[in-house]
Amino acid sequence: MSSIVQYFLSGISIGAIYSLIGLGFSIMWSASRAVNFAYGDVVMLGAVLTVIFVGYGIPLIISMPIAVFVCIVYGVLIERFAVAPFTKEVTGIGWMLSTIGIGIMLESFVTISFGSFAKPLVTPLIEKPIIILGAGIYPQELLIPIFAVTFLFCLELFYQKTLIGRAIKAVAYNQMAAGLMGINVKLMTAISFGIAAALGGGIGILIAPIVQASATMGLLLGLKGFAIAIIAGITNARGVVIMGLVYGIMEKFIEGFISSSAREAIGFSVIILLLFIFPQGIFGKKEMVKV
Amino acid sequence: MNQRFFNTYIFWLTICLFLAIILIPNIINNAYQLRVLMLLLIYAVVALGLNLVVGLAGLVSLGQAGLLAIGAYTAAILATRFGFEFIPSMLVAMFITGIFGVILAYPTLRVKGVYLAVITIAFGIVVENIAIEWSSVTGGTTGISSIPKIALFGHSLNDTAFYYLIGTIFLIAFIAHYNIKNSRFGRSMRAATQSEIAVRSIGINPITARTLAFTLAAIFTGVAGALYAYLNSYVNPDTFRFLDSLRYLLMVILGGSGTVLGPLIGASILTYIPELFQKFGVWQYFAYGALLTLVIFIMPLGIVGTIIFWYNKFQPKRVCNSKPWPTTEPLVDALINQNKDKNNASLSIEKMTVKFGGLIANNNITEDIKSGSIHAIIGPNGAGKSTFLNCISGLYKPTGGTIFFDEKNIVGLPMHSLAKMGIARTFQNTELFSQMTVLENVLVGFHTQYKTGLIATLMRLPSFIKEEKEFHELAKALLRYVGLDEYADEEARNLPFGHQRRLEIARALAISPKILMLDEPAAGLTHSEIEDLKRFIISLSDKNITIVLVEHHVEMIMALSNTVTVLDYGIVIASGAPSQVQENPAVIEAYFGSPGVTNE
Repeated sequence: MSSIVQYFLSGISIGAIYSLIGLGFSIMWSASRAVNFAYGDVVMLGAVLTVIFVGYGIPLIISMPIAVFVCIVYGVLIERFAVAPFTKEVTGIGWMLSTIGIGIMLESFVTISFGSFAKPLVTPLIEKPIIILGAGIYPQELLIPIFAVTFLFCLELFYQKTLIGRAIKAVAYNQMAAGLMGINVKLMTAISFGIAAALGGGIGILIAPIVQASATMGLLLGLKGFAIAIIAGITNARGVVIMGLVYGIMEKFIEGFISSSAREAIGFSVIILLLFIFPQGIFGKKEMVKV
Repeated sequence: MNQRFFNTYIFWLTICLFLAIILIPNIINNAYQLRVLMLLLIYAVVALGLNLVVGLAGLVSLGQAGLLAIGAYTAAILATRFGFEFIPSMLVAMFITGIFGVILAYPTLRVKGVYLAVITIAFGIVVENIAIEWSSVTGGTTGISSIPKIALFGHSLNDTAFYYLIGTIFLIAFIAHYNIKNSRFGRSMRAATQSEIAVRSIGINPITARTLAFTLAAIFTGVAGALYAYLNSYVNPDTFRFLDSLRYLLMVILGGSGTVLGPLIGASILTYIPELFQKFGVWQYFAYGALLTLVIFIMPLGIVGTIIFWYNKFQPKRVCNSKPWPTTEPLVDALINQNKDKNNASLSIEKMTVKFGGLIANNNITEDIKSGSIHAIIGPNGAGKSTFLNCISGLYKPTGGTIFFDEKNIVGLPMHSLAKMGIARTFQNTELFSQMTVLENVLVGFHTQYKTGLIATLMRLPSFIKEEKEFHELAKALLRYVGLDEYADEEARNLPFGHQRRLEIARALAISPKILMLDEPAAGLTHSEIEDLKRFIISLSDKNITIVLVEHHVEMIMALSNTVTVLDYGIVIASGAPSQVQENPAVIEAYFGSPGVTNE
C-alpha cells in the first residue's frame, strides 16, 4: 500500500514538471503556431543561473528573479530572431532547426562555463521528507504540483480578465483579424514567449533542488514536455496539465512494477500510440479545412 | 529546363561520380582516409533517403538514427548469431526498416509538421532505450562486437573491395533517388506538400505519397545500417542518438533539400567537419549548433539549392505570351471526351443535409444533375453553395442524405476516390502546386492513369520512359488547349491570376473527368477573360463533360446553363431553366428582399 502511495505522490510531483513544461509549449504555440523547440534549455538556464548566483553568495530570494529575468530576455530574443522569421513556412523545419541550433549552442556554452557535472540547489524544503500514509516526499516535490495548478489558474484568469490576455487569445484564434483590430500581433507573440520563458526559468528553479542543475538537464524534460503537450492537444491548457500528471504517475508505476530502465521505451511508445489514436491530441479539436 | 538536357546532365553527373568513386582510393592510399570515405558514402545513402521525406514530401523526421540502428542491429545480430552473410542480412535489414518506415508514416494520415517530429523523436528514443536495456539481444551499452569481416558468396572482402561495394550501393541509391524524384511518385510527393487538398482533388491520396517517401527512406537507411555494422565490426547505442538524427537532417538541409546532389554534399561536409572541429576542442559541440543555426538563417535552401537559385536568377527572362484559347487539340479530345448519354442523371442528390454544430448549411437538398448539362448553382453569400460543392466533391461528409453517382452512393467516400471515379473540381481560391512548373502541375493530374509501377520507375525501364514521354506530350497538348503552352516551364506561382485559373482547370481535365465542378471560375477575371471562359465551358460541354458551375456572374450563368439551382439559407428555393428561375418570385425576394420589408 505504501509503495502505491509513494508511486502516486512521486508521480504527481514529476508529472507536474511535465505539465508545466507542456504549458510553456502551449503558451508559445497558441500565440504563433510555432515554439522554441529547445524550451528545455530555458528550464536548464533558470536552474543553472540560480545555482551560480547562489554560489556567488547572492541570497536565493534575489537570485531567483534575476535568473527568471534573464530567461525572459532569452525567450523573447529567441522568438524575435529564431522563430518569427520562419512562421510563414508550411513545414516548420525552419523554426524547429533554428531553435534547436541555438539550444545546442546554449547547452554547450553552459557545459563549458558551468561544468559538465550536476550541482544541487540547496533549499530548506528538501531537508526532511513528509510522511503520508507511509510514503515519504519532500515538501519541495509537493510544491511543484501546487505551483502547476496555481499557475494554470492564474493563466486562465490572465487570458480571460486582462486586456493583454484577451489580445493574446485573439491572436491565437486569428492573427490577421487580430492585427486588423489594432492588436500588436508581434508584441503579443513576444509577450507569450516571454511568459513561457519566465515559466521555464521558474520550473528550472523549482526542480533544481530535486533533479540537480546541469547543462543537459533540459533536453529530455523538454522533449517529454512537448510530446505530452502534443498528445493532450497543445492549445488546451487544462488538458496539458492533466496529461502531464497522468504521464508522471504512469512513469512511476512503470518504474515500480516493471523496471526503471524500461521507463523511456514504454513511455514514449505510449506517446506514439496515443498520437496514432488521437492525431489531434486527446483534448484537442480537429481544425476544419475551408476552401 | 527541358527533359533532354536533364537526361544528359544526370547522365554526366553519374559518370563523374562513378569515376570519382573509382579513382579516389588511388589518390588517398591510406587506410584511415579510406574508412572515412566509406563512412561518408554510407551517410550519403541515409541522407538520400531522408531527402525523399524532407525535400519531396516536406515532412520532418528526427528519428532517422533509430532506423539506422534497427538496420545495423539487425545485420549485426544476423551475422554474429546466425552466421548470415552480408547480402541476406542486408535484405532482412531493408525489410525490417521498411516495415518500421510504414509504421512511422502511418501517423502522417492526419498529423504533419511538429506532430510528426515528435513521433519520430519519440521513436528514436524508444529504439535507443531498447538497444541499451534489452541487453540479452543487443548487448546493452557495450553493444555487439566481433561482427565478422564482410564476405560476398563465400569470399571475404578486403578494405578496397568493401569500399567498391559501398560505392556501388551508393550509386544505385543515387540513381534510384533521382528516378523517384523525377517520376510521378516524386511529383505527387512534392504536390502533396504544396496543397494537400489539390492532390486529393485529382485522385491522389496524400497518405500514399508520404508513406512511400517514408518507406523508401527507411529502406535506404536499412541498407546503410547494415553497411555501417560491417564497416565498424561492432554496433553500440552511442552512435544512434537524437543528435545523430539531427545530423542526418542537417546533411539534407545543408546540402540542399529536394536537390539531386545536395544529400551527398551535405553528407561530405558533415563527415569531414567533425575532424575539422576537433581543433575547437571543448567548443566542438558549440560549433555544431552554430553551423546548424547559420545554415538555417543564411542558406535555408542549402548549398545546391542556393546555387540553383542564383543560377536561375541570372538566366535571361523569357517573355511568355498567352495564346488564344480554347484551341482544338486531337490529343485532348481523345483524353477528355465522354460518352454521350444525355437525359440520365449524372449525379443524383437526395435529401442531403449538412450541419456544422447548430448551423444548417444545406437543408434537405434533392437535386438531379443531368449528364452532359451545364448546371449552375447560385445564391446570395452564405447560401450554402460552397458547402454543397464540397459535399458532392467528397471534401465534406454530409450529415444526412444520399448522393448517387454512376448508380453508387458516394456519401462518405473521400475526395481522392471520387476523383478517381471521374469527379473533378477547381477551387474558389485557386489551389495550385505553386512551386512546381506549369507542366508539372498538369502532369500530377495524370498520376492515377500511369500504368508503370514503382519497380519500373526505380529502374527507369523503357516502359517507364515511354509512358512518361506520352504523358508529357498529353500535358503539353492540354496546355495548348488552354493557351498556356509557352508558360510550361514557369513556376505556377509566377502566373497572372487569370492564367492560374486556366491552369487549374487544365489540371482538373487531366483526370479525364465525367463531371467538372467549377467554383466561381469567373471571379477576378477581366471581361475578355470571361468571354474566353464562356467559350471554353461550352467547348467542354460539347465533349459531354457535365459541368457544375458555382458562380455569381449572372450574365454568364444565364448564357451558359441548362439548369439553374438557387440556394438560400441552405434550401433550394428554385430550380429549372434559366428563364424560369429569373422570374421566380422567391428568387427575386432572396436577391432583392420582398417589397415593403426593410432590411435591418
